Amino acid sequence: MDLNLSEHIVRTVVIAPSQRIDAFNAPELRAALDQQIEGGARRFVLDLTNVPFLDSAGMAVLVRLLKRARDQGGDVRLVWPTEEAARRIIRLTKFDRVFTMAETAAAALVDF
Amino acid sequence: MRIAMVTPYPPSQGSLNEYAFHFIRFLRQKPEVSEIFILSDRLPDAATYPADTVAQPGLAPLHIVPCWRFGALDNALRIARTARALAPDMVLFNIQFASFGSSKPAAALGLLAPAMVRAAGLPAIVLLHNIMETVDLKSAGFGANPLVERLIRAFGAITTRVLLSADLLAVTIPRYVEILEHKYGATNVLLAPHGAFDEAPPPSFEPPPGPLQIMTFGKFGTYKKIEPLVAAFRLLLETRHDLELVIAGTDSPNAPGYLEGVRLANADLAGIRFTGYVAEEDVPRIFQDAGVVVFPYTSTTGSSGVLHQAGNYGRAVVLPRMGDLAELIAEEGYTGEFFEPDNPQSLAEALARLLDDPAQRRAMGTQNYLAACGLPMAEVVEWYILHAQNVLKIRNARRVARSRELVKR
Repeated sequence: MDLNLSEHIVRTVVIAPSQRIDAFNAPELRAALDQQIEGGARRFVLDLTNVPFLDSAGMAVLVRLLKRARDQGGDVRLVWPTEEAARRIIRLTKFDRVFTMAETAAAALVDF
Repeated sequence: MRIAMVTPYPPSQGSLNEYAFHFIRFLRQKPEVSEIFILSDRLPDAATYPADTVAQPGLAPLHIVPCWRFGALDNALRIARTARALAPDMVLFNIQFASFGSSKPAAALGLLAPAMVRAAGLPAIVLLHNIMETVDLKSAGFGANPLVERLIRAFGAITTRVLLSADLLAVTIPRYVEILEHKYGATNVLLAPHGAFDEAPPPSFEPPPGPLQIMTFGKFGTYKKIEPLVAAFRLLLETRHDLELVIAGTDSPNAPGYLEGVRLANADLAGIRFTGYVAEEDVPRIFQDAGVVVFPYTSTTGSSGVLHQAGNYGRAVVLPRMGDLAELIAEEGYTGEFFEPDNPQSLAEALARLLDDPAQRRAMGTQNYLAACGLPMAEVVEWYILHAQNVLKIRNARRVARSRELVKR
């Protein structure tokens, strides 16, 4: 019997920032994520568990990643931050209805 | 996606015309957008809008359809009828409470348009630039009679409920989302920040040589009143002579003749300049020439486009200490010097603190520039597209579910 076996390894990049993501340091995260996209990554888990604060400029970085990943046939999962100051902007912008959200990075990886 | 946007649009002088101009500039560039219709107000004196523009590489075709008139009572009907005839995939509204008229009946009836568009079977997203709950009616001249104030608030609440019948209602300030969620139990309100109009290169934080300009920009006469600013300018001139006050912009459509009245009342004052309408290409120069940008507001009205422009050009700003304005601008990453509203002495002191301290002006301009760069409007438009796609996905899923239900029967 001919078994034409092949193995597909799908790469998922997990990024877990641990500082605030605001207008002043969002460009740094943006550059890091752009580098990953340009390096061929398409599927991302952004683990925000330890992010103490996120503002709309930070949110924009996540949305831009989602857009770029989806344009390339990939997607992004977000892990809820534990700090209310960071959760607030995700709820206010209703992006918890656009991103697939998870409680932990492990759950987000399983979901892909 | 074929999108219709209900909004004033230049050369219409209606409020939010400039916001619409930039929003549509970026919307046209998005690959998801195949065609745009602007449902705009009719221009006075038989003036006409620019002709339709055809599709160009990287730009969706744009059609301007004047179908309503500022102050008319039947605007909602006209807008709904036009939208139904065009049958776009999504109707966006770029509005505030006085978008459709200066009289209360015209303003309120016009705000029925999103509900009527939805009733016509079209999905609607409303970007509402102010909310009734934060308008300071006393400053707006309705505070003297408590009964009138209560009536206006009650009608405002009814109108807000009608607006909330849109698929989504976007506001530009985080606090507004929370107010609408708590008061109305709304689940379809979202934050869509204002965004910076241009991704300007790092500006010069120094004003040009010559008299230091104190500049204010906008449409004046309703909640932007310049009398305290002119009085503060007079106070500053008592001790310095190297200043110029620039009033950039026009009357609000709701206050015709206002600026001319102020100009005549201050005909004796040297160093004050009224620019009149500022064409789009002249906006950068107006901001770059300013040493300080002043916001002579008498009530808070949502996120300020002028604040974002001041940030874009790295300018220091002076704002009224009013409601939670300081907190609101801090939430967007901005900073400013504050004065007591309607108090020329306090405004003069706030201005003097910046005029006397170039280092502070530079630091403030730098922070505001970084805040403005944080979220360019090109990305805010992306947010709307993602939410619109989500709305369409949900509506399609419901339609499919209903069809299956019918087949089962």
